[in-house]
Order: sequence, then structure tokens, then C-alpha cells
Amino acid sequence: MTQDEIIEKIRNGGQAELGLVYETYREEFLHWVVKEFNCSTDDSQDIYQLTILVFYDNIKRGKLEHLVSSVKTYLFGVGKNLVMESRRKAKRNTPLDQERWLNEYLMEESDYAPTEQMIGNARKALTRLGEPCRQLIELFYYGKKSMEEITQELNYKNAETAKNQKCKCMKRLRKLFEEEQSRTLIETSYE
Amino acid sequence: MNNEYDIALVEKYFDNELTEAETAEFRERLSSDESFKLLVDQEKVLIQGIRLEGLSKDLRFLKSVESKYSGTETIQIGSYRKMWYYAAAAIATLAVAAVGYFAFGPKDSTDELFAQYYEPYVNAFEPIDRGGVNTPPTARAEAFQAYEGKDYARAATLFGELLKTEKDPGMLLLLGNSNLMLGRIAEAKQNFTTLLNDYDELDIQAKWFLSLCYLKDGDLENARKMLKELGEMEVSYADKAKELLKRVD
Repeated sequence: MTQDEIIEKIRNGGQAELGLVYETYREEFLHWVVKEFNCSTDDSQDIYQLTILVFYDNIKRGKLEHLVSSVKTYLFGVGKNLVMESRRKAKRNTPLDQERWLNEYLMEESDYAPTEQMIGNARKALTRLGEPCRQLIELFYYGKKSMEEITQELNYKNAETAKNQKCKCMKRLRKLFEEEQSRTLIETSYE
Repeated sequence: MNNEYDIALVEKYFDNELTEAETAEFRERLSSDESFKLLVDQEKVLIQGIRLEGLSKDLRFLKSVESKYSGTETIQIGSYRKMWYYAAAAIATLAVAAVGYFAFGPKDSTDELFAQYYEPYVNAFEPIDRGGVNTPPTARAEAFQAYEGKDYARAATLFGELLKTEKDPGMLLLLGNSNLMLGRIAEAKQNFTTLLNDYDELDIQAKWFLSLCYLKDGDLENARKMLKELGEMEVSYADKAKELLKRVD
């Protein structure tokens, strides 16, 4: 399989493909991180998991369409940056907090920096949204699936129905988020 | 208060569906209309929240992949038994947490509780053979593959067909989970009840997911009953469960 074919497979796939990539490069990557940067086994696993997620996310978002090098070289490059970055931050934030790192990773891609509380409220709203709405909007905004792909995956009648459903789900999510925001405002005013 | 038109405009912007004229209008409104800008910022927060949830879920998935390695690398014999032990312990913990939540926690809706506690069961029965590219996959392999790929509609169809000729508790458990993911609560309830009554394996898992079906249906009486049974089982955390149940009673 060529590098581009690997990327195409990941772009069109789901967790099965994510797991496949993880397992393919795992041993070599972990060995390299431990040897090169003197990381503990736990730290090297944390670094590798984030590296794979960045690789996966870049493909899904269309930021990585072709590789000039190999997947392995790309992963090692991302991994090296991640180790360096986590070492810099280690002075104020040890050990590597993966959830926080992911949050900061998302902040970097936006020109708007919401507070942690706002993101927390968005996640609460998402939890309250329930299935299948949650899965639908996650496939669209995170998985970057087309309405045709979502139609097939979630068994909708057609792409138009899926799109209408997505609009309804987002409308409900906005309402739930506003409720969470109001709740936070009331709680803060009582403190 | 933003109107429907504004919301549609913002949604089209984030979905890359704006026409040229709409793009110009969007830019103009963004620079001159404060309430419109707030709406755009709110949408950014929501999408960031959705993406963070997606990344967190995939991170948990990678951790589950990693945990398989630590199991096989350190313990070869009995690793499956150990996996079931951990699964049972995890379910008992969740049951205790859920009972505690009912008793002492804030009163959320059953839908909210369901969303907080439900996660589809991981395919621990038939790992996907990723190397066998020369042989066509069997219907069974396709069913597990569809489940792992989150194609729950296809997984439900395939598992349903296979179960007509083959009694397999693992497939039945995943069929129930597929139905739950598709929002087919009655079918899921039927699957877990059959698993509980007609099979000798996976009782703990069947009870856990059945309790969540009751919860989703708003049948709190049966949900409580099932969760109490789980808390009383002789698995890890049983002592804590008994202690907590005494307090609940």
C-alpha cells in the first residue's frame, strides 16, 4: 500500500483504521522515544497516542493529503515536537496532561479562545443532547464525514434528511448550551 | 436574540456552504453587528466542544488498544479471564456509581443519565484480522468489522442474520449495543433479556445494559432493581456496593 493509499484509507475509515495505524507503528515509535528522549514507558505511550491523534485529525480535516516522506517519518516528526513541547511545559505542568493538551491543540486552530468553562459547558450540552444527535454531529464536525456517508452510516432515508436532522440537532445543542451558560452565570452570582 | 436567518447564515459559514453574496454579507455583519459576532463565537465554542469530545473518545479508544498490549506482554495465559475480571469490575463500579447517583446526586433526566453512563461495549470477542487481505471476509468478520467501524445499522443487520443460525452470546451482546446506538431501545431490551435468560455467559454485561435500557425508557423502578442486583454480585467492589446499598435502603 502506498503512503497516499494509507491516507485515503484513514480518511474514509473510522476507529478500526485508527487502531490499525496505532498498532503498525507502535513498537518502533515507543522504542525510539524511550531511547532518544529517555522517556518513561507511560510517557512514551501518552506521546504516541497524541501523535496518532494529530496525524488522524490532520487527515480528516484535509490538512494532510499527500506525504512527501513516509508515514513513519511524519509520525516521528510530530512525536519529536510533542516531546519538546511537553518538556517546555513540564516546568509548570507535570506530567503530560493529555486532555489539557488536546484542548490547547484545538485552541491553536481558532482565532477565538473560549474559557475552559465555556468548553466545559459545550461538552455538558453535548452529553445532554444524547444519541443519535450526538453521533451525527460528531461524525460531521469531527469525523468530517459527508452527508452521504452519514446517511449510510446512520441509516437515514437520504442526505437531505440527514442534513435536516443535523440542523435540528445543532439547534437543540445551542439551546442546551445557553441553558448551561445561564446555570453557570447563576451559580457564579451566588458565590 | 438572533433570528433563524442569522443562525442559518452562521451554520452555512461553518459548513462551507455560503454563496459569494452570502460571504460578503457574513463578513459585513461580523464586523458591524455585535450580536451576530456573539452568535459566530458561540458556534466556534460548540464545534470546538464537539471536536474535543471526538478526540477524547478516540484517545480512550487508543488507550484500550494499548491495554491489550500490556495484557499480552505480561500475561499470556489467562489474559482473557483477566479481561473479563476487569470488565466485571468496571461494570460493578459503574453500577455502584449509578446507584449512588440515583440516591444522592442531583436529579437529572433519565436521558442525561443514560448519555453519561452509556458507552458501546468494546468488541472483545473477535479481533479484526487486519492482515488477511487475500481471503474474502466471512459474514461474521464483516459483522464485527462493521461494529468496530461504528456502522451500527449494518452490524445490527449482520448480527441479526447470523444469530438466526448460530447461538453466540458475544454477537448478541453487540447486537444489543448496536440497537442501543441506533435508538432501538425495545429491540435492545429484548436482546439483553434473551442474553440473560437463554445463555450462561455475559450475565453481568447483559444486566448492566438492560438497566440502561430501563433508564432510557424512564422505567426507574426496574433500573434501580437491576443496578442493585449488580451491586450485590460477588465481583470486585462488592463490599462497597453492599455498604452503599444499606445506606440507600
